[in-house]
Amino acid sequence: MSEHHGHHIASAKQLWGIGIALLILTVLTVTVAGLGLPSPFDILSAMAIALTKAFLVAAFFMGLYWDTKFNSMLLIGALAFFILMVSITLLDTLYRDNVVPSF
Amino acid sequence: MANHSATHPKHVHHHFVNSNQQFESAKLGMWVFLVNEILFFGGLFCAYIVFRAWYPELFTQAALELNTFWGAVNTVVLIGSSLTVAMAIRSAQNNQKRGLEINLLITIFLACVFLVIKYFEYEHKLHLGIAPGSFWNPTPEIAAVLDHPKANIFFGIYYMMTAVHGLHVIIGIALMVWLYLRARKGHFNSEYYTPVEITGLYWHLVDLIWIFLFPLLYLIE
Repeated sequence: MSEHHGHHIASAKQLWGIGIALLILTVLTVTVAGLGLPSPFDILSAMAIALTKAFLVAAFFMGLYWDTKFNSMLLIGALAFFILMVSITLLDTLYRDNVVPSF
Repeated sequence: MANHSATHPKHVHHHFVNSNQQFESAKLGMWVFLVNEILFFGGLFCAYIVFRAWYPELFTQAALELNTFWGAVNTVVLIGSSLTVAMAIRSAQNNQKRGLEINLLITIFLACVFLVIKYFEYEHKLHLGIAPGSFWNPTPEIAAVLDHPKANIFFGIYYMMTAVHGLHVIIGIALMVWLYLRARKGHFNSEYYTPVEITGLYWHLVDLIWIFLFPLLYLIE
């Protein structure tokens, strides 16, 4: 029994709160997309809302908020390497005079 | 041996100090797998970013062929299923066998709803000849609205990303059915629910991926 003292049990209220917040953010992102904001504010607002939703899911549904920080580090590390992969790829593809014809 | 099993709970393997260390190790292993999953989908997101940077006008045009309403419904369905998975873990932590079973069943149901909606979306598009890559063969009406030479590339990316995501949903359903069968046999309780926790992490990641796919594919018109 004492071995399990570390496990956080989220309350039903907390979980429903996160679920409802995610639904509200979904409605918000559809509404904002409908406004037809000029580029780049359309993609920026959509990504800001998506990142907020992702944070809520990772922190509370996946329990990182209560979890050992090492697991959070793995997630942040994955995102860092994703950004690195995209950045290095774009350094190539954004600066080509001619896009590869068959692409 | 007899002495050993008297001091350790039945589910704890011999190479772990205690139940909690075993639980944390399993979770760490799952997070490492999720890192691999994020970078695997990352490659697809990278392709999306490169092609959107090359052909921004194509993406806004082609996204008009995607049904925002059904995309939004599927987002709500997946969020709901993430909530029920979290509730399933909570039930296991509180020794609520019935609650665990019911939450797993609702999750399986919602995952199936997601796939059915996805099936009808695919079916509708393929009927109009909106197919990926070299299978691109649109009806004259679609070709008139979507007269971009690279239109097939947008749908190549769309089908690849959503199909790989859909494959994860199918695997998730299989895992939930397995959990449900084990839950019914009373395998899980507040002392041991590692498979529920681990599968929950996987399922939340499937939800996370969709949280990004939805605005990037459906909401850019």
